[in-house]
Amino acid sequence: MKRGDVLENINQRFKEEIIDVIDKSSTRVYIEIKPCSLVKVAKYVFEELGARFNIASGLDVRSHMEILYHFIFEEINLLISFRVKLDRAKPEIDSLTPIFEAANWIEREIYEMLGVKFKGHPDLRKLFLSDDWPDGVHPLRCDYKEWDRKAIRDRGV
Amino acid sequence: MIYLFFFLVFGFLTTAVIGLLASWIDRKVTARVQYRVGPPLLQPFVDIIKLLGKETLIPRGSSKTTFLLAPVISLASVILVSTILWVNNIWPGKTFLGDLIVVLYLLTIPSTCMIIGGFASRNPLASLGASREMKLILSYEFPFILAILVPVIKSNFSLRLGEIVAFQIQNGVILGSLSGVLAFIVLIMCIQAKLGLVPFDLAEAETEIVSGPLIEYSGTGLAIYRLTKNMLLFVLPFFLIILLIGGLRFSGIHLLFGILKYVGIVALITVIRNTNPRVRIDQAMRFFWGPMTVIAMIAVVLALIGK
Amino acid sequence: MSVKLKALLKSPWVFHISTGSCNNCDIEVLDCLTPRFDIERFGILLAGSIKHADLLLVTGSGNRKSMEIVKKLYEQAPKPCLVVAIGECALSRGMFIHSYNCPVPVDKVIPVDVYIPGCPPKPEAIIAGLVKLIEKVKGTLKKKGK
Repeated sequence: MKRGDVLENINQRFKEEIIDVIDKSSTRVYIEIKPCSLVKVAKYVFEELGARFNIASGLDVRSHMEILYHFIFEEINLLISFRVKLDRAKPEIDSLTPIFEAANWIEREIYEMLGVKFKGHPDLRKLFLSDDWPDGVHPLRCDYKEWDRKAIRDRGV
Repeated sequence: MIYLFFFLVFGFLTTAVIGLLASWIDRKVTARVQYRVGPPLLQPFVDIIKLLGKETLIPRGSSKTTFLLAPVISLASVILVSTILWVNNIWPGKTFLGDLIVVLYLLTIPSTCMIIGGFASRNPLASLGASREMKLILSYEFPFILAILVPVIKSNFSLRLGEIVAFQIQNGVILGSLSGVLAFIVLIMCIQAKLGLVPFDLAEAETEIVSGPLIEYSGTGLAIYRLTKNMLLFVLPFFLIILLIGGLRFSGIHLLFGILKYVGIVALITVIRNTNPRVRIDQAMRFFWGPMTVIAMIAVVLALIGK
Repeated sequence: MSVKLKALLKSPWVFHISTGSCNNCDIEVLDCLTPRFDIERFGILLAGSIKHADLLLVTGSGNRKSMEIVKKLYEQAPKPCLVVAIGECALSRGMFIHSYNCPVPVDKVIPVDVYIPGCPPKPEAIIAGLVKLIEKVKGTLKKKGK
């Protein structure tokens, strides 16, 4: 299907869930949706429209937290990113792992780096950080403070 | 007393010095072929001395006695083989019946000791390398023994090395006949496999299994293994020269011919080493049980007819 | 100088450890082994196993996870063993000095003998560093300004 048809489909089907659409260029579209409707949208795009889940990226803007899910339509060379805005005090969202296994490890990484809890994830534990890292400390947050007393942070000059 | 002299001087020292020089020739020619400068002359000697100065670490849970004894037994067997070969070459009358069979048995011990050392190391990569070495031994022993039958048959069915040398002094080298040439081809390939050189160095393949059975050896054990391998680089072509090309004689012009024979075989081994890729174990088995065995059998039949 | 160290300097076998680098320094180390900068003429060979190593080449800024592994590897290398740190990240963590995952530089975990700066250092710089290591061990290193 062509690019116009894909966007038309998504706009029509999820009229009340979409908050904003940014048509950045012919190959990139950003669509902001409500957090509670993520699973529905992802399931539709993956199964009906035949897109491939590429990766998810998370970032900590000071007022809230955002997660972007990137889906690729390879035949028509289009990448759609679905943005969800989460509350910074208690960030929680449904996990996409029951739908496709590709979301398993990236959700573990977003959990350990930003502290976002994924409900329904089968095995939510640390992926990259070492075993002696304390629980509850998330490095990529804006308010991360150094917890290691034995770290050396000056060049000695 | 005379045997002790032979054992130490000829068996060990001469073989070690010539073997280490031959391994230097091998490394220098390889470097030149790859368009670079190679190591200096005394490099193999310095390697062994450096290894003797490092400490020996024994892995926890390995069988200590086997781990430490395996290199010593392989060195002992190579010294014995080289003593027998030198005695045969200098005094052809002082041999005993069946020393060809004794040499054949003793030559299987270095590879077997490498396998034992690999299995005693308690390391999965070492076991993998040792099992590859076992399969390689299974494949090349058969054409090796068949090809050795050719000089035995041609020199009137004698099992003494001294009589084979004496026969060749009288009637011309065995390499001159058709069966001799076929036996030479088979024996050169078997020597490549026995020495662990490309294309058959899959037991110690560097990039794949990180030096195979020798992965846990350090210090003195590794030095003895390397010394054994370099001594085999002299002993095996010497064995080939005695069987097929008439042995080394130390009188007049024959000394020069002897040196040329040995250097020629080492050069042939180096050229084969530099121009071939490494083969897999099933390709090696198919090679040795297929074409090599057929050629060896044709050579034996030709020798029986009399060609 | 003892015979052991003298023989070690004439034929050092090299083992290469990367503790989380961007791989540029590793590529430059590999360049040294190619025919153009051939270091086999000094007797240097690439050793596959840590038990055969005389010289450890360490690249990369020290991660928490890989520093435990580097400590175990250093204990498994048979002494006498020398350590060379290659690249800015191995000297002092370079630009990763405030990173959450690199608490201490490499030379607080294992003792380093020679530092080779550069990002990445050219193969000529690596060879010059190895020559300085040989001179330092022999005791003939000339101090600047004397």
